[in-house]
Amino acid sequence: MSRWLPAAALGCILALIAIGVVLALRPGPATTDAARGAALAQELRCPDCASLSAADSPTRSAREIRRQIDELIGAGASDAEVRAHFVDRYGQWILLAPSSPAAWLVPLAVVAAGVIGLAWWLVRRPRAPAARRVLSAEEQRRLHDEAEALDA
Amino acid sequence: MRAMRWLLVPLLVVPLSWLLFTGFSLDPRAVASPLIGRPAPAWSYTTLDGETLSSDDLAGRPYVVNFWASWCVPACVDEHPVLTAAWQEHGDEIAMVGILFDDSPDNAAAFLDRYGRPGYPTVVDESGTLAIDFGVTGPPETFFVDAEGIVRDKQTGPLTDASMADRLALIGIDR
Repeated sequence: MSRWLPAAALGCILALIAIGVVLALRPGPATTDAARGAALAQELRCPDCASLSAADSPTRSAREIRRQIDELIGAGASDAEVRAHFVDRYGQWILLAPSSPAAWLVPLAVVAAGVIGLAWWLVRRPRAPAARRVLSAEEQRRLHDEAEALDA
Repeated sequence: MRAMRWLLVPLLVVPLSWLLFTGFSLDPRAVASPLIGRPAPAWSYTTLDGETLSSDDLAGRPYVVNFWASWCVPACVDEHPVLTAAWQEHGDEIAMVGILFDDSPDNAAAFLDRYGRPGYPTVVDESGTLAIDFGVTGPPETFFVDAEGIVRDKQTGPLTDASMADRLALIGIDR
């Protein structure tokens, strides 16, 4: 047990360093209007496509959404106001990611409930009784006879 | 403990099956419109005949806004006679307007030459601004606006005579 401890500790430290590096290199919030517009277009669904963002689609609706985003940003709208402009027209459906942070916890909660349920079932499961049966006199005799016949 | 196992069926399997069966039978495009109960977007465009038409011209009467395209087959072809019949029957009580969705006026004119002119105008929403304002995902989509200018219902996909009658009733037009 104790000889695994240093390796586990080293693994934890390396993982923490990796997380730190990823967080440090993560792009910060978009600053220019063009970058803000592009980021917002990534968050919005292209209405006449299957599972594409308005940024990734060449359809006319996607182009018009990108144009309206730029127009709203040019008029001084905040990111939240731009999102609200499209939610007003399409509902939450237009957002590719749920707006409530609580929604992200749902899959984690479902997985946790599954793990707890499985663990509970494994712990509580009655052990199968060992199959021990005494042979009858008839069976013993037959076993003996067949072993004899093999030896012969 | 053993009795618990039998509870699994009504508590988990039945609701989950119901969720999957109903969920997969839904049309992912048929999103409830947030516009319902709110004033219809205002607009002003040029018709296929080259005249200017605006939402103000329709105000005061209930009206029907139909987003369509010549490439929208068979849905737009299927509902074309339904729209034409509704206009012939109720044209004196309501206004109707077609909005061309991502299509050229020439293609639209060819479509109308082939399937018949319904008698009400179609305007050309070249940039797609009005489609976004109405929250349209693709033709055909039809909005039903009452005499006060409030959107009362939306049909995603082709209209039938029955769905047309149901929706017209919501904006005060009874057969």
